Order: sequence, then structure tokens, then C-alpha cells
Amino acid sequence: MIEVTLQTKSGWCVVGVSGRADAEAAEELENRLRGAVQHNPKVAADFSALAYISSAGIRAVLEAARAAQEAKVEFTVCAPSTPVRKVFDMSGLHHILTVQGELPC
Amino acid sequence: MSQSAILTAAEFRLDGDLGELARLSAEVARFCQAGSLGENVEFHLNLILEELFANVIAHGGCRGMKDVVAVHLESESDGTVAMEFADRGTAFDPSAAPPPDLDAPLGERKAGGLGLHFVRSLARIVEYRRQDGWNHLNLRLTESV
Repeated sequence: MIEVTLQTKSGWCVVGVSGRADAEAAEELENRLRGAVQHNPKVAADFSALAYISSAGIRAVLEAARAAQEAKVEFTVCAPSTPVRKVFDMSGLHHILTVQGELPC
Repeated sequence: MSQSAILTAAEFRLDGDLGELARLSAEVARFCQAGSLGENVEFHLNLILEELFANVIAHGGCRGMKDVVAVHLESESDGTVAMEFADRGTAFDPSAAPPPDLDAPLGERKAGGLGLHFVRSLARIVEYRRQDGWNHLNLRLTESV
């Protein structure tokens, strides 16, 4: 289960995601991130409160990144915990997804 | 099984429904708490078991069936964690599956494969066998506790 908050800060739409981004929550995560991408020129996914992510969660983020790329929207993943960061690292997406230590705003 | 003594063990079954992931994570949390295993071990066990379970539901033909997966966990005195993941799905040997193409461009990446890549990054597959209509997969966390 995930909880999602939306906030606008210095031109960025900050999507705060907490909880567990597992196979059950992946569809909601993708929909919420894609929704933000549809309506904003710059989207930052704030994962600082995300406790867990699996390949299903990674795929959801990847789909949102793909939608952002097509719509020429800036999209970044920010502030994941060390174990969540490790899952992104294992997925080998460095050249596709930007994962930043801190929020851009 | 290894020569070292078993410190903590857990066993549970799961139905073929993604709603079972909440129970899976609760069982893993209980096991890790009982064995004083750290957060990293808990995270990685969760990840390995979810990926295997999700694959069985998506590709093993087990969606909606009762008791399709049986999990056995053991933490041992030499600091390792051993798992047996058994399922009633289609015969499938994860150790024989090809690795995903991580370098493919975003638009061409296939959906599958990533989960098994995580499993093999975090655990060593000790044995796979097919017996009486069940897949049995024995794994060992590669990171010791």
C-alpha cells in the first residue's frame, strides 16, 4: 500500500510517495506519477518516505519516465533510502532514470 | 542443508492473489524479528519472495488458487539465511532463465525479467527440482547477516 501527496514548489510538482511500492500498489503508483506528468512541466518523485520497492514498483516508475520523455517533461526520482536506492541501482537504469540524493527544490 | 545449527525458522503458505503480499511481508517481519535479523535482510527477503511469488501468479497459472506457494525460511548459526520457495505453478527453473537486457533503450525494454534479475543479484540458487507437481527452489541470501 502506498500513500501519495502532491505539492508544487518552485515550478516543480513534487509527488511524495510513502509506504510499500510492491506488485499490488504498482498500478496506483504508475497512475499517480503519470497523472503528475500529464499536468506539469517538471515532476520530482519524492521517495524519501518510501519503505520498499520491488520490480513492479520500478516498472511503474519506468512507465512514468517513458511518458515524461514522450511529453518532454522533466522527471526525476529523489531522496530514496539506501535499500530502495540499491533496488534502482540493481535495475541498471542509470542511463534512463535520474535518481538524485536530494529534492531539486 | 548445511552443517550449522538452525537458529530461527518460519513456514507459511500463500494463495494465488497479490493481496497476499501484505501477509508475506508480515511473515518476513516476524521471522526477522525472531532471529534479530537486520532491516537489510528483511528488505532483501521481501524482495526475493515477492518477485518469485509475483512470477508464479503472472506466469505460473496460479492466479486465484488456494495454497499455491509454500515458503520455508531458516536463519543459521553461521550467519546465513536459507529459503525454500515451493509452488504449484507451471514447471519453471529460474536458474535457467536468460538475464534481462538492461542496456536496451527505455522504449524497447521488456516488462519481465527484472524480478528474477533481483533474485539472482541477492541470492544464490542452490537447487531447483520439480517433484509431484511442485517447483522447489532452494536459495541462500548472498549477504550474510
